[in-house]
Amino acid sequence: MEDHGGIQPMRPEDVKVCVLTIEGTNCEDEMADAFRAVGAQAEKVHLKQLIGKTPPETRKDLEDYDILALPGGFSAGDYIRAGAILAARIRSSIGKEVERFVDDGRPVLGVCNGFQILVELGLLPAFDETMSKTATAALYTNDSGRFECRPTVLRNDNRGKCIFTSSIEKGRTLVMPIAHAEGKLLSLDPNFVQRLEDNDQIVFRYVKEDGSKAEYPWNPNGTESDIAGICNPAGNVMGMMPHPERVITRLTHSDWTRNCRSMEGDGLPIFRSVVQKIR
Amino acid sequence: MTGEGLMVKRKVPFELYDINILASKDEDLKRISSDMSLGLSLDEMKVIKGYFEKEGRNPTDIELQALGQAWSEHCCYKSSKSILRQFVFGIDREDVLSRGDAGVMVFDDKHGYALRAESHNHPSAIEPYGGAATGVGGILRDVVCMGAQPIGLADPLCFGPIDTAADLPPGVKHPRYLLGGAISGIRDYGNRCGIPTVTGGLFFDERYIGNCLVNVGCFGIVKREELLRNFAGGPGEVMILIGGRTGRDGIHGVNFASQDLTATSDDDSRGAVQLGDPITKEPVIHACLKVNEQKLITGMKDLGGGGLSCVVGEMALAGGCGADVDMEKVPLKEEGLAPWEIWVSESQERMMCTCKPENVEKILEIFEMWDVSATPIAKTTDSERMRLFWKGEKVFEMDLEFLTGGPLYDRPYTLPKVSTKKDEVFPDLPGNNEVILSLLSDLNIASREWAIRQYDHEVRGATAIRPMVGKLNMTGPGDAAILMPVRGSMKGLAVTTGCNPWFTALDPYKGGMSSMDEACRNIVAVGARPNAITDCLNFGNPEKPERLGEFREAVRGIGDFAKGLGIPIPSGNVSLYNEGSGGVSVLPTPMIVGCGLIDDTRKAVTADLKKEGSTIFLVGKTLDEMGGSLLFRKYGGSGGDVPGVDIERLKETMDKLLEAMDKKLVLSCHDCSDGGLAVSMAEMCISGDIGAEIDIQAEGPDMKRALYSESNSRWLVEVDEKNAASFKDIMKGYAVKIGRTGGNALSIPKAGVSISVKDMRKAWSDPIWKIMGGSNQ
Repeated sequence: MEDHGGIQPMRPEDVKVCVLTIEGTNCEDEMADAFRAVGAQAEKVHLKQLIGKTPPETRKDLEDYDILALPGGFSAGDYIRAGAILAARIRSSIGKEVERFVDDGRPVLGVCNGFQILVELGLLPAFDETMSKTATAALYTNDSGRFECRPTVLRNDNRGKCIFTSSIEKGRTLVMPIAHAEGKLLSLDPNFVQRLEDNDQIVFRYVKEDGSKAEYPWNPNGTESDIAGICNPAGNVMGMMPHPERVITRLTHSDWTRNCRSMEGDGLPIFRSVVQKIR
Repeated sequence: MTGEGLMVKRKVPFELYDINILASKDEDLKRISSDMSLGLSLDEMKVIKGYFEKEGRNPTDIELQALGQAWSEHCCYKSSKSILRQFVFGIDREDVLSRGDAGVMVFDDKHGYALRAESHNHPSAIEPYGGAATGVGGILRDVVCMGAQPIGLADPLCFGPIDTAADLPPGVKHPRYLLGGAISGIRDYGNRCGIPTVTGGLFFDERYIGNCLVNVGCFGIVKREELLRNFAGGPGEVMILIGGRTGRDGIHGVNFASQDLTATSDDDSRGAVQLGDPITKEPVIHACLKVNEQKLITGMKDLGGGGLSCVVGEMALAGGCGADVDMEKVPLKEEGLAPWEIWVSESQERMMCTCKPENVEKILEIFEMWDVSATPIAKTTDSERMRLFWKGEKVFEMDLEFLTGGPLYDRPYTLPKVSTKKDEVFPDLPGNNEVILSLLSDLNIASREWAIRQYDHEVRGATAIRPMVGKLNMTGPGDAAILMPVRGSMKGLAVTTGCNPWFTALDPYKGGMSSMDEACRNIVAVGARPNAITDCLNFGNPEKPERLGEFREAVRGIGDFAKGLGIPIPSGNVSLYNEGSGGVSVLPTPMIVGCGLIDDTRKAVTADLKKEGSTIFLVGKTLDEMGGSLLFRKYGGSGGDVPGVDIERLKETMDKLLEAMDKKLVLSCHDCSDGGLAVSMAEMCISGDIGAEIDIQAEGPDMKRALYSESNSRWLVEVDEKNAASFKDIMKGYAVKIGRTGGNALSIPKAGVSISVKDMRKAWSDPIWKIMGGSNQ
């Protein structure tokens, strides 16, 4: 029997996921369905329900959930920096609860706009504290200057810290689509990539189909060191630009009619990893 | 505003005029129509005068404005309806669930799918970004008000050549600018609402320079028990106005859409272009679907052309009741709007629902949750009249039948002279290698990747077949997209666009048929069965007999095809007056948006060649039909027979091909359209990154026709060698073996063709990138 160090993992059906929405989030249905596909309970929750701005019977408490997921979209229109408005709203309302949630070791996933929000919130890269006071990195406009929707190939470069890749072997490549205009991870810190590397915070890198170093369009946005996804130093907060929730089945992969190894989509292992590992 | 004596300001603390039409002579009536921008003809003004004579009073400015909206071509189809009735209305099948603001067809036992297309041409010619964006907004609302969740968007667009160096007529914007703006508008709106843009088309021709076409289509999914009506349940109900505030944007949009563009349209009509706000729209969709799911409403309709003036009357009349409206309750963007401006404004992101009074509170609570404004503004009554009040003062009272009835015309038309083989001039051609590369680089063939990748075509995580298919980052053109709208079900909805404006210009009847054929063969190419279509018919000024003749013949072609194949058209849209300054009409453009069903999406087929050594079949018959072909257009040919459709033959072919696909005998399949067999084969090589060797039994000019004729009802099919015999058995005489896959070049030895896949990809990939900027490498 596997040693769980005395703490039993939760049964998947007991895992409660909060999929957070506000106006302009639009990938919440597929995000909730992705968690359901691995047996968890997922609920779409509007930020107003968490901060007590709705009738009492519809209010929710972040404390009651085991996983927090921030789906993609254009929160509040993203008319200023992507993710900035929602991040500011979260920080000013339930910032403390979110910080406690993360300190508690509970997993937080941000995809696309969700990743941008995690960076704006200071939950990523979060080198020195759980939630830095101000953002220390940003997701900047793609080198092409355009919104792009295309498949990408990702390599799992995490050495074992990130809970979301716990069941994915290191070096395995996964195909997932991106759909964003701002996905180039930047920081003013000259040692940014090295620090991520040292802390085992790099989760996914864009690569070519054969696993070799990416260039455009395989690296779709020009991000430094081809980084597609990172986690916090504790490994329980992960943000990524590609959309794993869109490839839960092989049938939504872009080339499945010529390349159909199994019916399982490449996004599924991410959700399975976290739901199996949570305790 | 109109002059002395005819307009009398009423003594009320807001702007309201009584218009003295009872005392008006013909000249005055004309002046009133033009000064108030009503867009009504003298005859129509006289009918209105007659109505108010019976009422025994003069109309208010609001009443005349409302008539101007309701009687516009855009709202009442006065020139097109009798033709539509004759040829396309009433093609029925028992799986048509609704012919409301969007058509709804049976998807499976529990669900229906919605489909609808619409034009947003004139606004887009003035302000392409806003025009295209609000076009998307409007079509989304049409689907939502059936109670359906939007699941996909279509965006067929027609522009002048984006590389044109010609002098543009006054007031006309460069096609490159218009295309860039329209794509950005669709991108920003569709992406922000989270609805994938999965099909469409780009058509380039000189004749779109003065008047571009921006058509948008939308598909939705609805539980059949939640299917919604677009009208009130009866008297005594409350009308709730939902969504955005009302402002001065989009005033007289329908009148603007119902006349030709002119050199000064930009200055005159910018106010007719609405402003879109996708981040209001997105929660509006959520909240509207929520109140419907909880069965709190009786009907819903979107505020599109004509704004409140159209929606209130139509919802009441269709529900068999009248309505009393409290206009001062309408939430405004700014103070100081005159009542008539509020009444006809086309401000975006607004919907209207009707409900029983006891449900009002629950409904408002749900909208509050989504921060969407919702305001009860009217009640339905048991009269046949609509009355408007402004702070207690009655400003409007009209018979609803009269208001929304509108005139109907049988305008004179002349039948066009069609192109035939008799007057064919076959052009001189360079060698076939050069011809194929140059066709691949033509703007009407070249890769649309620049546009397609700016659209999120897979948000919602249900896109199984995308607009581009093939190897990662080496993709080529697909035929139809497939969506899997019901989670956990393998059933797919195939969606596509078909149109051939060049055929339609030379032979409108065959052009209408060919556009339908293209939509159907695209659907069949992915393994789905054509189920229903919706159309957006873009033509010129119907008051010119030759333009109306084109319209009539194209509609007849569409109707004959639909009846022959038993394909319903549960919704549709007509856009006339598409003429630029100088009276140049657009190419007659019957845009067909088609839907098909596939029971098991795992059996779907794409156009990219899959492996070396397989057999290539041509399904369908190539005829000597060069009229309107890309080859002729490019190399200066003229005349020739335009491709026709043999419906019975198409039916047989389609059934057999679908049977072979269902038996998994087909590795890849692509339809033959623009550029003929040669271009289709090249495209399959490009997306599969595999060459092919083709052997066609023809010589001399016959070889050229075989390669470039655009005969309808044809597909190229790749079949694994071991299945070739079984495939042929099923297809009987409808498929001919023409070659095999392999190598890294397309070679057709008898035609002297040998071009590497790499060169073909380059010729096909680069042109639009080069003009619009950026690259795919």
